[in-house]
Amino acid sequence: MVLLEVKNLTKDYYKKDGGVIPVLSDINFSIRKGETFAIIGPNGSGKTTLLRILGLLESPTQGEVQYRGRDVINLSRKHKTQYRRELSFVRQKPLVRDASVFDNIAFGLKVRGLKLKQYKNSVEDMIKRVGLSGMKNKSARSLSGGEMQRVVIAMNFIITPEIYLLDEVSANLDPVNVKILDNFINEIKQDKQKTIVLSTHDRYEAIRLADRIAVLNEGTIKQINTPSLIFQSPKDEFTAQFVGYENIFGGVASIDLKTHLNHVKINDLVITTSSQKEGKVKVCIHPESIIIAKNAPQNVSSLNLFKGKVEEVRDLGNLIHVVIRTNSEKFLVSITKLSQQKLEIKNGSEVYINFKATDVKIL
Amino acid sequence: MSNEIIDGFFQAIYLIFTFDPEVWSVIAVSFRVSLTSTFLATLVALPIGSFIGLREFRGKRFISNLINTFMGFPPVVMGLIVFLLLSSSGLFGFLGLLYSTTAMIIAQFLLAVPIILGTGKAAIESVEPALKETVLSLGANERQLWWELIKDSKKSIIAGFLVTFGQAISEVGAVMIVGGNIRWSTRTFTTSIVLQTRMGEFGMAIALGIILITIAFILNYGMTRLQGSGK
Repeated sequence: MVLLEVKNLTKDYYKKDGGVIPVLSDINFSIRKGETFAIIGPNGSGKTTLLRILGLLESPTQGEVQYRGRDVINLSRKHKTQYRRELSFVRQKPLVRDASVFDNIAFGLKVRGLKLKQYKNSVEDMIKRVGLSGMKNKSARSLSGGEMQRVVIAMNFIITPEIYLLDEVSANLDPVNVKILDNFINEIKQDKQKTIVLSTHDRYEAIRLADRIAVLNEGTIKQINTPSLIFQSPKDEFTAQFVGYENIFGGVASIDLKTHLNHVKINDLVITTSSQKEGKVKVCIHPESIIIAKNAPQNVSSLNLFKGKVEEVRDLGNLIHVVIRTNSEKFLVSITKLSQQKLEIKNGSEVYINFKATDVKIL
Repeated sequence: MSNEIIDGFFQAIYLIFTFDPEVWSVIAVSFRVSLTSTFLATLVALPIGSFIGLREFRGKRFISNLINTFMGFPPVVMGLIVFLLLSSSGLFGFLGLLYSTTAMIIAQFLLAVPIILGTGKAAIESVEPALKETVLSLGANERQLWWELIKDSKKSIIAGFLVTFGQAISEVGAVMIVGGNIRWSTRTFTTSIVLQTRMGEFGMAIALGIILITIAFILNYGMTRLQGSGK
């Protein structure tokens, strides 16, 4: 089910001298219920403006934002509030109201008409959960930056709305708070009921969290796709340069108790890694880390060895990108032109690929 | 001449410390009129002013200009207008309010309303936009947002109240015209000082002057304290 749809959205800023700065131009995408959608792009690409428009903090110059099939841009004040109550908007800079920690965290529930009796316990649980026990009655503005960030996380995640808008939230967080935030996000992602729209300039964050990624540059969407497709075959030069190339697979990891090695099962492929994270994971392998061999190599130290078939050869000038299929998965491998010529790699060639367990990154 | 002034000064101290009943009558009338008018003006104009600050609408700039113009309205002219309205041949002459403290309250109320409108509007507009947005995105409706912004700008609002009160209590023209400066009834600090000076009763005039300046000092001190402690 499509929950949020953006149609032909354009945003221009007008300068005092009459000049026009286009911030977003002709943005189109739709987000399904339960999906995590990441908008990735450099600073100034329009990510924040796009999220602000989705949160009705700014109105577009043109175009529509539809929530459950109904346009929200031209709603009455009352209905705009109703729509906003379906959202949580965590912004880049932490900002709290001039009130106690408890009052700040309770605010979203209070404005939704809940009584103190009804929210008291959940607010107190939340205060414990973000590690602010004992600070309940402190003024939130007197807290340290890191503590204030936790208040902001707590007050936005206690609401349990339909959609979470997260604007570069982890960019300014300290490591402890990144963990707290990740916990909340993973919990939301688990039951697949709530939708997350996040903006980031960190590609690993996008890979780790997103079901789909939209690449935004200079106000236009370059492409929208799953992380593995975007990172394996970026459609344009900007995406290739900004997000870079990466082999990404989703699988289930379990550690072998004898060898302490981690085996990640990806469809009918098992990748071995030295990373110790178990359960549902995402696996990243750099195209540069993979070695191609014409014959089955013997006595090599790398633990991952697969036989495959070349499906595509892309000439990037001095570098060659080779797409190799092994069992159910495709690998992107980056080699030099010289190697390609030496090994006579072309479409249909049968080759072996291998890479070290320590080169496998787990997210 | 200089002896008269020095004598007046000593007489003033005597009057203040012996709690002269006439001095007290003047203090009571001044405070009652200025406090009531400022209070009523706040009650009426603060919600409206802050609402103007909260919303964007067509003609907002025009209304802002209008408010700014009336903030500097000449008190004497306001006195004249209220006088004409309340005089026996005026529109509200039948109420018989001329030369009463009620008439003075009305005049000062009308002078105070634009000032409170302006400060209420400015107070709301000076709240950090990011706070407005945070409150909105947490799901507040317009009324809840308004209350949050009022709370956040309470210091500017209290400062606005003090400024308005300070202007009211030191104002002469309007209260003189509509109050009539009647002894024991509508005589205030300012009208009294005018009269006593004319009559050469410098002691009383200086005594009242000292009290008025002390009040102004206390108000200003309060405001600096407010502004010093953050917003």
